[in-house]
This record gives sequence, structure tokens and C-alpha cells, in this order.
Amino acid sequence: METLLNVAHGFGVALLPINLLYCFIGVFIGTLVGVLPGIGPISAMSLLLPITLSGTPESGIIMMAGIYYGSMYGGSTTSILVNIPGEAASVVTCIDGHQMAKQGRAGPALGIAAFGSFIAGTFALIALMLVAPKLASVAIAFGPAEYFSLMVLGLVVLTFLTQGSMAKALLMACIGIVLGLIGLDSITAQPRLTFGRVELIDGIGLVPVVMGLFGVAEVLLNTEQLIKRDVINARITHLLPSRADWKASAGPLSRGTIMGFFLGILPGGGAVVASFGSYALEKRLSKTPERFGNGAIEGVAGPEAANNAAAGGAFIPLMTLGIPPNVVMALLLGAFVIHGLQPGPLMITQNPGLFWGIVASMYIGNLMLLVLNLPMIGMWVQLLKLPYNILFPLIILFTIIGVYCSGNNVFDVYVMIAFGVIGYFMRKLGYEPAPLVLAFVLGPMLENNLRKSLILSQGNLMTFIERPISAACLALAVVLLIGPLLPALRRKREMVALDEGV
Amino acid sequence: MSDQSNVKFRLNNSELWGGLIGLALGGFVIWSGLKLRLGTINDPGSGYVLFYTGILMCLFAATIIIAALTEGGPTFGSRWQNTRWTKPVIVIACLTAFSFALNPLGFLLSSIPLMLLLLRLIDPVRWQLAIPIAVLVPLGMWWILKRLLLIQLPSGIFEIG
Repeated sequence: METLLNVAHGFGVALLPINLLYCFIGVFIGTLVGVLPGIGPISAMSLLLPITLSGTPESGIIMMAGIYYGSMYGGSTTSILVNIPGEAASVVTCIDGHQMAKQGRAGPALGIAAFGSFIAGTFALIALMLVAPKLASVAIAFGPAEYFSLMVLGLVVLTFLTQGSMAKALLMACIGIVLGLIGLDSITAQPRLTFGRVELIDGIGLVPVVMGLFGVAEVLLNTEQLIKRDVINARITHLLPSRADWKASAGPLSRGTIMGFFLGILPGGGAVVASFGSYALEKRLSKTPERFGNGAIEGVAGPEAANNAAAGGAFIPLMTLGIPPNVVMALLLGAFVIHGLQPGPLMITQNPGLFWGIVASMYIGNLMLLVLNLPMIGMWVQLLKLPYNILFPLIILFTIIGVYCSGNNVFDVYVMIAFGVIGYFMRKLGYEPAPLVLAFVLGPMLENNLRKSLILSQGNLMTFIERPISAACLALAVVLLIGPLLPALRRKREMVALDEGV
Repeated sequence: MSDQSNVKFRLNNSELWGGLIGLALGGFVIWSGLKLRLGTINDPGSGYVLFYTGILMCLFAATIIIAALTEGGPTFGSRWQNTRWTKPVIVIACLTAFSFALNPLGFLLSSIPLMLLLLRLIDPVRWQLAIPIAVLVPLGMWWILKRLLLIQLPSGIFEIG
């Protein structure tokens, strides 16, 4: 009953005209960046982070969340019609989705992707509503030792799942921690690594770092190659999947939804891992696995459901523990912090309007996305024809403006350009930026909790082992760290390793 | 990893240089941590986490270097093989020039040439289209920010914008 009252309260917030407008802007931009290869939710969210300052916290965060789950919907359109994933979580959809489009079944592929996303998104929201308050009540008992260990686990999981060498990913995570510690020490107020620059006293901003590493670096990488697009030009019909399509997709949709939701909750996990996991599972369960790769609708339904359910699940660690499980959630945390809010176990009780408003807006956003992605599919197809030689300079200009507006500071533009160049060389040398950004956000919290737990325990390191949750997290982190040394686990890691890209 | 088969020591091994840069950074972080004071385990100082993170950085960088020396790795040249490497160089040069011009010239006078250069140099857009885009988009953005969002972009020594 209490949950229903809370949901009603949430709808009261989400249905305010201004919040509806922000929700629509969010899902529209999300679909747009999902459709356009070369720019993803991370770049778009960092670009729009400063704009959230102009409204209420609810409006800003509703818009940012909309960009994230909207991009999951939009990404499938490009995968199916162009065979280029609009964002990383849609890579798998290319395999069977584009084959279906080539066989004249673009309509059912787009239809099942949209309906599957809607069903999975809705399930994830119901689960979020039920799980988050319970987890938050448990998390109140967490001390600094638990928080420290959870953050360590989150970072280790992300480095474990990052493509390429784990040593490189761990090095990136360490650099991220160091960058996050630049500025005044929160306990002693001593300036650290500021090199005498006043601009660095408050530390480096999240927006310039993310925009540089993901926005500018992505453009630099894309300019290196001639991007050819094989857009399906045939008229798209039969967007509503047939009875046979539904029958074939029912199992993959349900399995993908459940798997995606739980993978989304895990720190370091997320939509990309979920979509790959769902595809592998469906192929393994199928009586005709040879159809996979040749236009099997199950290969679209499962991963699309999984990545959308994971997008919903990822909100749980952020909302209940205040720990972002991936880079997108780290940006959302940035939006909370900009408004002076700290997500965590107390947020649901202290700020119910905000929490339930965001949840309710996600229901509404999912409905908006269904309308945006089915009847308006023709508009997105036209957008796919926008030439990159015009798009890339525009992205550069928008990133410059976005970064400047985030702090009204030219220094931030310099930081962004520097990180853009560094990010480009990092990617060329096989160093993924995702662990760096997550560590950059978690670094100050990690340090704070480590120092607090050491002070509270009077320097007793056993405090991390004696507390069961902390011990379990650290044990899992150790297993993942030494895992790649074992050949069997190394092979598994290579199978699920992901390119967090954009 | 196309030319990774040759395991002998090579100075142009990109993995080796990546590891060496990591090692140097790790060394610098350790030194900074020490300079900031480590404190004690009962009361960690400002440099405590930096110091231990620096040690971890050196450890991971050393792993990368050892792997580069024992398993080899792609050369710098192979990383840019079959790519249009001049294009990112051009974009980086344009952005560097822009960053120097932004403060003295202001947003409008620096972003219009930047847009024109990017539109013409990445994959040339014809002049008839490039000029209007390069002028109208920054102007439009400037107008929206200044008039609607009341955000003042840098106006430079000429106070334009």
C-alpha cells in the first residue's frame, strides 16, 4: 500500500508539465544519440549536464535518465538499419537485426526491439520500485568499511570487464583515482597536485574530463576512417511483429529481461554485458543455433530486452548506496551533486518526491519512447543520412560550449581539449577510458571512506575483513584480480570483455 | 596486434612506451604522496592514498612493461596503419589553435574560423554550405546562450559577443 502511495506521489511529480517536457527532451535526445553512431549517452549526458542547473533537481535528473534509457532504444535502430551500433549496448543487435533488415524484415526487427525494450524497461522499473527501498533500509547500516570495499569491487569488476589487458585497465583506474584527488583534501584542506593553479583548487571537473575522453576523442578516432553506411532504403512496413514472431521472442524477452536487470545491478556491469550475455544464452538454448547470425528474431529480442532491463537495474546501486555502477551512472551522480543532493540510503526517505518522481518519469519515458521509435521511425532513418563531415564539427562545437557552460570557465575548455587528445592516444594504445572515469568519480569517496574506517578502527586493517559485507566484496575483488591468471577464467573474461566506448 | 609475432626487443614497441609512461606517472604520484605527508595508519595524511595508488600504478605499469618485453607488441606505425592519421592531427592542431585564440579573441571570433577549418579539412564540405554553417551555428548558439540562458561567453579583447 505504501509503495502504491509513493508511486502516486511520484506520478504527481513526473506529470508536472515542466517535468513532462524535460522527460520528453531527455528521451528524444537519448534516441537521437542512440541513432547517431559516434556520439553516445555518455557524451550527450555530459554535454547536457550544465543545462540541468537551470531547472529543479527533479527536472534535470529526469532528463538525464531519459537520455540514458532513450539511447538504449535508439541504438537498435542504427544496428538494424545500418549495421553500425548507435551505442555499445547495441553491438549484438547488429548481428541478427541487420540480417533481418536485409531479408526485408526490418519492420518486425524494429518492432520487437521497441516492444522488447518497453516490456523490459517496465519490468526493470517495477523491480526498481520494489527492490530499492528494501536495499536502502539495509544500506543504512553500512559503514565506511563496507562502502570502501563496495567501491573497490565496482572498480575491479569494471576493469575485469574492460576489453584488452587487465593491467592496462587497472592502471587507468589508478590514474582516475589520482585525478579525482586533485584539489583540496576534504579532511586536512591541504592542496594536492594543484601545481599552484587556482583553477585546480576545486579539482578537475567531471564534465571536461568526460567530454574530452568520450566526446572529442571519439570524434578524433572517427575522423581517421571513412565511415561507410549501408542504410536500408526500402520502405519499412509491418512494424508490429506477427504471432509467430511473438511466440519465438517470448522466451528470449523474459530471460533477457531478468538477466539484464540483475547484471545491471552489479557494480561494473551494465547494459553492454547484459546484451552479450543474453545473446550467448539464447544461442545456447536454441534448438536451431545455426539461425543465429542469419536473421533470428530471438537474437534481437533477447539482447534488446537485456540492455533495457540493465539500464533500469543500474539505478539501484546509485539510488540506494550512492555508488554509481558504471560511467553513465557516475554522470548521473554528478547531476545529483550539482544540485547539492547525495544519493544514498537516506535519499528515498528524505527526498521521496525526487526518487519516486524519477521512477514514475521512467514509466512515462518508456511510453514516449514507444511512440518515438515506432510511428516516427522514418524520421530517424532520415537522420541516419546526416553526413559525418558536418556532424563532427558540430559535436566539437557543442562540446566546447557545453564544457564552458558547466563552469563559466575557459580553463575547463583547455582541460577538455587536453583530455580529448590524451583519450585519443589512450584508445589508440589500447587503454580504455571507462575505468578511469569511474575511478575519477569514486576516487574521493573511496579515499574518504578508507581514511574514515582507518581512523574509526584505530588503524586496524582487520576492520575490512571482520565485517561480512566488506569481506565478501573484497574476496570477490581478489578472485577477479587473480582470475585472469587462470587460463579458463582468462578465456571467459575475453568472451565477455566489453568496449565501453561511447 | 598484427606484428606481435616478433618477440625481440624493439624500441618502437608501443606497449613498452605505454608501460614506461605509466611507470613515470606512478613514480611522480609516489613522490607527490610522500611530499604531502603520509601520516600514520591511525590517522592517514593527505598523501596516504596517493602514495599507495602510486605504488599500484608502478606495479601495473611494470606488468605491462614485462609483457611488452616478453611477448612483444604492436609498433607505433602499425597502430596507425591503414588509417587517415593526418585527419586527427589536423583536428588536434585546430583545437590547439582555438584554445590559444579563445581568451584573446572571444568565442565568436575563434569558433567561426574553427568551424570553417573543421568543415573544410576533415572531409571537405563545399564552401556554399561550409560558410553558412560555420557562421550561423556559432552565432545561433551565442544568441541562445546570451539571450535565453543568460550565459556570457568569452568576448575577448575586441569585446565582440
